[in-house]
Amino acid sequence: MSTFANPEIIELLKSRFINVAIDQAYHRRQQDDEGDFYRQLASQSPRNDFNGTTQGLYAGTADGKLLGFTNHRGPDRVRQMLTQALDKFKPADFEPPQAKRFDPRWTYQPPQGGLVVRVTAKVLGGYEPTDDMWRTAFQESLSRDNLWVTAEEHKALVAGQLPESLALRIARFHLVDNTRGEPPMWERTDVKSLQLSLNAGRITGTFHLETANGKRGFQGEVLGVVETENGQVKRFDLVARGEYWGEGQFTGGAPKGKFPFAAACTLADGKDEADKVRPQASRGWVQGYLRSER
Amino acid sequence: MLATMLTLALLAADPGLTDAEFARLHAALQPEADAPWRTIPWRVSLLDARQEAARQKKPIFIWAMDGHPLGCT
Repeated sequence: MSTFANPEIIELLKSRFINVAIDQAYHRRQQDDEGDFYRQLASQSPRNDFNGTTQGLYAGTADGKLLGFTNHRGPDRVRQMLTQALDKFKPADFEPPQAKRFDPRWTYQPPQGGLVVRVTAKVLGGYEPTDDMWRTAFQESLSRDNLWVTAEEHKALVAGQLPESLALRIARFHLVDNTRGEPPMWERTDVKSLQLSLNAGRITGTFHLETANGKRGFQGEVLGVVETENGQVKRFDLVARGEYWGEGQFTGGAPKGKFPFAAACTLADGKDEADKVRPQASRGWVQGYLRSER
Repeated sequence: MLATMLTLALLAADPGLTDAEFARLHAALQPEADAPWRTIPWRVSLLDARQEAARQKKPIFIWAMDGHPLGCT
């Protein structure tokens, strides 16, 4: 996050650019107007093979010309890319076409009548001390994802029940250490035990998640509060806390052995642009995410 | 090693997830509202950004990651 902690870069972006944040795993694949425009820009950069990652920082024009690219996150390189892009930019009258094509595999929306819940998570201790700037950033990071609750599950919560499908979705896809990168999710068979219940507005229980080889796991307890009003959930606060161990292919650098870890849920109010982000585990297969009990 | 042993010792003496610990952790796990990067007006739709860039005659800046950048808080 150091790139976007630099005051000069922040001022440049706020005053001179229109800023968009995307998961390129969607955009390089989606066959629609949004994907076409992304690939038009990215194909002019060194990231022009859409069979692999195209992550990076791009500057471009509304009519599809690339002005700059870097995959370095060092503030000096990013500032240089931005200023060079501004030097190349020539404001022009251009009216972009309205979007007509939407790829349903990649452009799905939250379930109608359901809920969006913010999920944050953090490693609470166990790291070896470091002087490395990037390692420190990962060690201190607070992750963010969104939990989607279906309309049926919303109704059940209002009725004072915690559906198994929701408990499993929380456990399998949101009790993950995603603080250092994209995490592996828990398979259905990794759920060794999950005892969550909702009584008089309080969610309580325990969980034990562990891979078959035992190299990665999370075991702990849950406490939460659900409040409803006029047939709607108005509060969904939850904390899961326990001991985590192991790491994934893209989440290397975890503390050695077992370490304290916690995740928190908070009902989204839609005021944060990040509330629109699709759940990480839904990428490319939203039905697999929503049908978590399978 | 000492830090790990201390952490494990504290967990062993842990009374469990009490109401007070729930409230403390829930508050501690909220993102800082005034974190510098959050002051940038991010969009999540590239085509919306394109429309706005054309209207304001500004270039587009794209932060493209594996996983959504707004999840990397």
